[in-house]
Amino acid sequence: MESLEALVAHIQGLSGSPEEVAHLHSLLKQADGEPLRAHAAALVPFLAHLSPETHSLGYLYLLEACATSGSNLSDFGGGDFLVTIAGFLTACSADQIRLAPDKFLNVCRVLKDQVMQLIMPIRGIAPLRAAVRKIQSSPEQLTPVHADYLLLCLLAKQYKAGLSVLEDDIFEVEQPKDLFLYCYYGGMIYIGLKKFPKALELLHNAVTAPMSMLNAIAVEAYKKYVLVSLIVNGQVPSFPKYTSVSAQRSMKNHAQIYVELSTSYSNGRYTDLETFVQANSAVFQSDNNLGLVKQVLSSMYKRNIQRLTQTYLTLSLEDIARSVQLETPRDAEMHVLRMIEDGEIHATINQKDGMVSFHEDPEQYKSVEMLEHIDSSIQRLTALSKKLASIDENMSCDPAYLMKTGRDRGRFDGRFDYDDYDSVPHKYF
Amino acid sequence: MSAPSDAAPAVSAPAPTTTAAASSGGFTFKLHPLVIVNVSDHHTRVKAQAACSGDSSSSSSAAGAGAGAGQPPRVFGCVIGVQRGRTVEIFNSFELVLDPVSGTLDRAFLEKKQELYKKVFPDFYVLGWYSTGSDVHDTDMQIHKALMDVNESPVYLLLNPTINLSQKDLPVTIYESELHVIDGSPQLIFVRSNYTIETVEAERISVDHVAHLKPSDGGSAATQLAAHLTGIHSAIKMLNSRVRVIHQYLVAMQKGDIPVDNSLLRQVSSLVRRLPAMESQKFQDDFLMEYNDTLLMTYLAMFTNCSSTMNELVEKINTSYERPTTRRGGRGAFM
Repeated sequence: MESLEALVAHIQGLSGSPEEVAHLHSLLKQADGEPLRAHAAALVPFLAHLSPETHSLGYLYLLEACATSGSNLSDFGGGDFLVTIAGFLTACSADQIRLAPDKFLNVCRVLKDQVMQLIMPIRGIAPLRAAVRKIQSSPEQLTPVHADYLLLCLLAKQYKAGLSVLEDDIFEVEQPKDLFLYCYYGGMIYIGLKKFPKALELLHNAVTAPMSMLNAIAVEAYKKYVLVSLIVNGQVPSFPKYTSVSAQRSMKNHAQIYVELSTSYSNGRYTDLETFVQANSAVFQSDNNLGLVKQVLSSMYKRNIQRLTQTYLTLSLEDIARSVQLETPRDAEMHVLRMIEDGEIHATINQKDGMVSFHEDPEQYKSVEMLEHIDSSIQRLTALSKKLASIDENMSCDPAYLMKTGRDRGRFDGRFDYDDYDSVPHKYF
Repeated sequence: MSAPSDAAPAVSAPAPTTTAAASSGGFTFKLHPLVIVNVSDHHTRVKAQAACSGDSSSSSSAAGAGAGAGQPPRVFGCVIGVQRGRTVEIFNSFELVLDPVSGTLDRAFLEKKQELYKKVFPDFYVLGWYSTGSDVHDTDMQIHKALMDVNESPVYLLLNPTINLSQKDLPVTIYESELHVIDGSPQLIFVRSNYTIETVEAERISVDHVAHLKPSDGGSAATQLAAHLTGIHSAIKMLNSRVRVIHQYLVAMQKGDIPVDNSLLRQVSSLVRRLPAMESQKFQDDFLMEYNDTLLMTYLAMFTNCSSTMNELVEKINTSYERPTTRRGGRGAFM
């Protein structure tokens, strides 16, 4: 085992070209492990000699040894060490650290734990955001750092910061737990930003993701999913066929109260809903969903007003107030006004005689913006469809699938369908 | 008329059997497309069978006719139709077998077929015979003379199966036989005749259908639309490239790389002025609305396509991973 100085010299010397880095990597792997951690305290001054950009790999190894050495980080000068880690994460070079991804993940996790311990989640946001970009091999890959980053954003209430990470579509997932956490936290961030449709998407993914056994994250996600879908659509859709079997069977049992809430919501009477919420507020509070439930309540009015647009062409404000169970016509006017501004209904309020007339959607599809909008949707759809086709092909070649279909076909001896043979790839025969 | 046993050497003497002159017989020939389809179909089938079996099929006289091994075998048959006065209308045709040894058509078969056709079409007579090839062969006169006892003046229909893309007309020629005096002796030679194509409504529909069938994909509606759109696409592409050329030329002229040519400029200017240019708001609205409609339809089609792929994928995943398995940490792809 070389001495630390020799190691540091190696790091400084061999961080030039990719071959040298590979050589350095093997050296470091040899030097890694308990011996390095034992010298953890001595490593810190050496870190000052190395620069995070050029010597990223070596820096990473040393840093990780310090961080996971188990000793309290205050030995290393507490807050300063945090700054060191943060600086490293922002400045490191992506190629080098991808050679040792698990070490990198360890460092990120240490940062997150530290930051949460110090109850200053906001300090971790910028470094982790940089870290996410660096370790992703493509923008479509999900890493464990995503979940940690979103958690910090939530705790710091910096919802907008989380948006940049949430906007990418994810196509590759390595650990299912990452996906669940990502979808759950992402959904919560969108709820915080009041972007309910997008929250619904993410929570839907969390609920319908394949799982062999029900997990707690999915159950929590389901509770929020029920509430958000009540706000957005006014009803909770049934499980689609790609939901896992275990979820379909037992999810509702764990979220019984929410199911009852949704049935009471569909009855359409505000007062009933209100009493139900009051009665069960303790349960909602314990799930940290009380704020969301209150929003469900207020969305009840919107739902009822929207229902009115389908029956009436014009309606007076008093009638609206009466049918929606609001106290005064002024409240009704405010609600309607807000809904018109949000674009949820199309109507005009005539203030002279207090009549509201409902209109059709005035979109004529005559504008250039609509053209560009549709065009970009078509492009996105083409790209998506190509991806789907390739996944479908991979699935057809999957051994588990072939085993199942091959078994079925064996039963029909002599009565085979020539069509079946087309979908089976020839390379397996 | 001379017997069909006219010695082969006499016929194979390099006496020309055709002239380029048009027939002076005064006959008007009308050809129905069914005949052309039949002949080409016969030829294609025989060619395909020969390719499959590797040796020439029974009806070919490829060896006898002196055709090389690389040539497709010649096919023979009979044409039937109606002759009213000077108008000869060829309606239908059927295949015949050529005896490779004697070089004559099988008479018994011909008579049997003739009888059968008489039962269905009492008006149709054997008007002549057909064959394929790029030009008239020397042995053809033999066969022609043999048919003369069925019809005093049979017609000979020749289909050229080689596909010549530059040729605009049909590769079908009709020959009559005439007695001409050549080198002092009267000889029967083939002379070309003009013909017209005559169609009944039913024939027109089927010919249209056959003409539009592409070998690769079925569904004439889809291929027609694709062909139409490809045509428009290539036309627009050409227009675009031409406009670009003019534009580059003008830019170069403006920069001074090319000497200014006023006459060309005048032409360009007049061309530009001739273009219809509508600037009204109503035009914009209607145009954009139609554009958006088409885009929406494309979007809908793509959507349906995508959804069906997704549905299949979900089915596959469900069948494979229906019961929970222990290996859960594997790679998957989710949105």
